[in-house]
Amino acid sequence: MGNNEKKVITDKLILVAVPVLIAIAVTAIYYMDIAGEAGNKLGKDFNYDVSKQAVASSENPLYEESQSPITTGLKNPRAVAVDIENNIYVAGDSQINIFNNNDKLIRGIKTKGPPRCLFISKDKTIYAGTNNTVEIYDSSGKEAGGFKHEKADAVLTSIAVSGDNIFVADAGNRLVARYNKKGELLKVIGQKDKQRNIPGFSIPSPYFDLAIADDGLLRVVNPGRHKIEAYTFNGDLEFSWGDYSSGVEGFCGCCNPVNFAMTSEGQFVTCEKGLVRVKVYDEDGKYIGLVAGPEQLVPTEKAVPCETPEQCQLGGFDVAVDGNGRVIVMDTLHNTIRIFEKIEIVR
Amino acid sequence: MKENKKISRRDMLRMAGRGAAGVSLLAVGGLAFWKKQKPEYVWQIDPYKCVSCGNCASYCVLEESAVKCVHAFEMCGYCDLCTGFFEPEPRKLDTGAENQLCPAGAIERKFVEEPYFEYNINESLCIGCAKCVKGCTAFGNGSLFLQIRHDRCLNCNECFIAMACPARAIRRVSSNKPYILKGAS
Repeated sequence: MGNNEKKVITDKLILVAVPVLIAIAVTAIYYMDIAGEAGNKLGKDFNYDVSKQAVASSENPLYEESQSPITTGLKNPRAVAVDIENNIYVAGDSQINIFNNNDKLIRGIKTKGPPRCLFISKDKTIYAGTNNTVEIYDSSGKEAGGFKHEKADAVLTSIAVSGDNIFVADAGNRLVARYNKKGELLKVIGQKDKQRNIPGFSIPSPYFDLAIADDGLLRVVNPGRHKIEAYTFNGDLEFSWGDYSSGVEGFCGCCNPVNFAMTSEGQFVTCEKGLVRVKVYDEDGKYIGLVAGPEQLVPTEKAVPCETPEQCQLGGFDVAVDGNGRVIVMDTLHNTIRIFEKIEIVR
Repeated sequence: MKENKKISRRDMLRMAGRGAAGVSLLAVGGLAFWKKQKPEYVWQIDPYKCVSCGNCASYCVLEESAVKCVHAFEMCGYCDLCTGFFEPEPRKLDTGAENQLCPAGAIERKFVEEPYFEYNINESLCIGCAKCVKGCTAFGNGSLFLQIRHDRCLNCNECFIAMACPARAIRRVSSNKPYILKGAS
């Protein structure tokens, strides 16, 4: 083979090889996925997926949202309550906003500290728990007393009043304290006591709710144990109900329910975080039905409990029930008050 | 009277050599001191922006990702039913593999006192897939989170996991404070 022939073959090879190499390079760049768009490619064992439970927890609600949500007017709403005239009270920041039946803001009351919990008595006296203090205001918003809960690291997360008794739930110290209206401590309830068969409260996150039922017993959430416990005013544990399940009939996650309210018929309306859902149980703790599930409550099309860390940590909704049986949900994700009514009533 | 002393070429070269050696020694020392004082920058994950997508496990140039799960005990609820440790529907609250969320078995559960349990990360097993982070953030206090461990990280000029992060949660931080820790007051 002469030199000329060799040169021709080499030229031809170069002519073919160069475009092929360019094509390979372009294809490689095209498929390289430096932006991570193809996902983690780890396989389904590595995916955390509760969308099935979220969808299942959203089916066949007994309630329906009956009107447009009400904006709370607060940056960081913490608690909701209703009074005897069905006015809605929302507490947060350093304020309590009061809305009337027409969803109009009728009054804003400045508090000394940031309120985390709220109770409105029959005479419309307002009790607000701020850090370690109970602040009391009359129906016009004038200061009407208050006292300090003398415990270090106190985080007051719930208040209930019955007669001369004021009960406060202290998530920081994992106890319920019973005071009289003068602010004198009468009893500490719920501390671990083997002899009295009291397991103690397990409160992994700062949600610890209580209420007084019509049977005269105190109902306290024990979120780490997924239970609602019934105590006498003297601190004897009478009974409890509730169990763990991500199925709709139980309480999901590490620590639920976060908050609850009671209806005039003695039913319990509970709020859960994680799989954000609001449900109704009868007075014995038997599941009755759903008020709203993740699909109705969480702002995502995929029915997952939360997408971003902020969303995940904001699922601590609060709930109240008014005299007409309407369920008032304080939605911390949308910063609104949402009102749900039984479907047969709405239609 | 002082005698005029002639310096030979050899002496002059010797003195110049000594001078140059002294100057270079000073320069090297100064440079080392200056480098020690000046902070460098390293890659780190902002746990408050991280969406636990799992890309850190796959896109790191290292065969075993430099990203590991870390635990802020200060924020942990020490739950019996830890949603970072257990599957969403565990059969039983024990350490059986079928109940554990971590596919690599990298979380150790230790009884503290009724009803509290402590959870520790075994970094040699953790691949940084963030499955536990997602479970803990969704239901719990968010005390489990991801960090780039600098004993492994090559500190590439262009970090591949930073490019592949959909939340843009990975950024350069000063080597004087190379970790962004949750719950650190």
